[in-house]
Amino acid sequence: MSAVISIKNLTKKFRGSDGTLIHALENINLTIEEGEFVSLIGPSGCGKSTLLRIMADLIQPTSGSITVNKKTAAQARKDREYGFVFQSSTLYDWRTVIKNVQLPLEIMKWPKEKRDERAREMLGLVELGEFEDKYPWQLSGGMQQRVSIARALAFEPNILLMDEPFGALDEMTRERMNNELLRIWTAIPHMTVVFVTHSIAEAVYLSDHVVVLSPRPGRLAEIIDVNLPRPRGPETRDHEDYFRLTSQVRHALRTGIRDEVME
Amino acid sequence: MVGNARKSSSAFARAENPPVDFGLLRRILYVALLIVLLILLWEGLKAFAASNDYALHIGDATVDLTIFNNMQLPHLSDIVKAFAEPAQRNGPPLYLTLVENAWFTLQSAVGGFLIGGFFGFLLAVLFAHSRLMQGGCLPFVVASQTVPLIALAPMIVIWFSRAGNSALSIPVIAAYLTFFPVTIYTLRGLTSVPTTAMELMQSYAANQWEIFTKLRLPNALPQLFTALKISATASVVGAIIGELPSGFQNGLGVTILNFSRYYNQSPPRLWATIAAAGLVGILFFLVIVLIERLVVRWQREDSE
Repeated sequence: MSAVISIKNLTKKFRGSDGTLIHALENINLTIEEGEFVSLIGPSGCGKSTLLRIMADLIQPTSGSITVNKKTAAQARKDREYGFVFQSSTLYDWRTVIKNVQLPLEIMKWPKEKRDERAREMLGLVELGEFEDKYPWQLSGGMQQRVSIARALAFEPNILLMDEPFGALDEMTRERMNNELLRIWTAIPHMTVVFVTHSIAEAVYLSDHVVVLSPRPGRLAEIIDVNLPRPRGPETRDHEDYFRLTSQVRHALRTGIRDEVME
Repeated sequence: MVGNARKSSSAFARAENPPVDFGLLRRILYVALLIVLLILLWEGLKAFAASNDYALHIGDATVDLTIFNNMQLPHLSDIVKAFAEPAQRNGPPLYLTLVENAWFTLQSAVGGFLIGGFFGFLLAVLFAHSRLMQGGCLPFVVASQTVPLIALAPMIVIWFSRAGNSALSIPVIAAYLTFFPVTIYTLRGLTSVPTTAMELMQSYAANQWEIFTKLRLPNALPQLFTALKISATASVVGAIIGELPSGFQNGLGVTILNFSRYYNQSPPRLWATIAAAGLVGILFFLVIVLIERLVVRWQREDSE
């Protein structure tokens, strides 16, 4: 196993709109190995999305170092090492489903035939093959998010960064999407997923490790290893370890908040 | 388009309207109803004023209703008749004269629309990519529209005739009205890109050109077309204003000037010309709507 993402002493401060200095992340040390599914969880404002955006080089850290696939984050972005999935599907309204999936491939100068072939393959993977000529508004929220996952994976990155991708979906759809995601992750060997969420159940169900962040400044409160057997399915949620682990995460979250209050 | 989508997939979990398109039929009906109401209002007011001898006495006050007499506000039937009658003795019927002049005006308007649209778009792109340019130049662009065109038009005519290209003066005057909405709306469209849509492009390490062609421009298209619809009608107004000092003998502007000079002899002729000018504007507007339908195909039908 080799480290795909390696973060050392990372700190992020920025000025809020009212001019006050916001301490978003404080001394984060984290290593994510190849092929792992890792969730970042914490209350809103703990900087989990900021941390994910730093991994994606969409935001720069104030201090500390980060490597992605053994490169600087900036170089990794230029080399298109990761796919990013946003909370909103961020599909382009003016493109049909298949054209949305092809967007990164166009930018990466894939030849037309390969683009068509790959996009169809990815839409097959997220089981939306028959919707390729629809426009985004014609799809439900869950379907839109599946298209955005297909788009993120289209150019064969080996890292998938997901920022609360199912946060806007209802509970039923979310559970279905969780299974979809696990199926996709299993289907692509050596793929590393970093998954930001505020749902304890979701984090435990999906992950190999749950990284719990405490709020303001965002600190690494605890890393909880999830050793639930794979493949996971509906029976996983009835596993006795599942209850133990969810309460362990809940406890870690609470401790993080209590620490803050005591300071 | 949406009708087909409904047929081809039953998996749609959306509330749907009945598949028959009543929308167009209803719209036509509304327009027809409005026209009938306007005719009734027009002729009704005239009849009311005539029956009161064009003066309404309310207590001691008298309201002058002479603006409703046949001189000031001709019967609609007289205006319609005027189209068929020759404007000059032994000349062609008025409608032929109007078509000829409207064609001349439309050409100038389209010319102005294209020039104004081009430069308006160029300015918007420039402003979208340079805060400095936007901050420095946008106030002047706004100020340009507060200068009355009627005052600028003669100067533009003189400049272009000195430069030996007086035919261009009318489209340029029309362009002066046209570029402004294009600049303002396109700038808004180009810059109002959602943050995550932009971050997506950054995550692909896309260059500025790709961001422009694949994100900013398509994002701006709906607003660009809103501007083009405004500009289409404005360009007709601009062309008519431009014709007045141009010295040309053709065009609806010149025709309006002529018929207003001889208004006392035949009021319906001027009214007919005004109607023709309105029709030219509507025609141009509808052409743009058609193009918009062909280009901006992704919007849901109910978003109009």
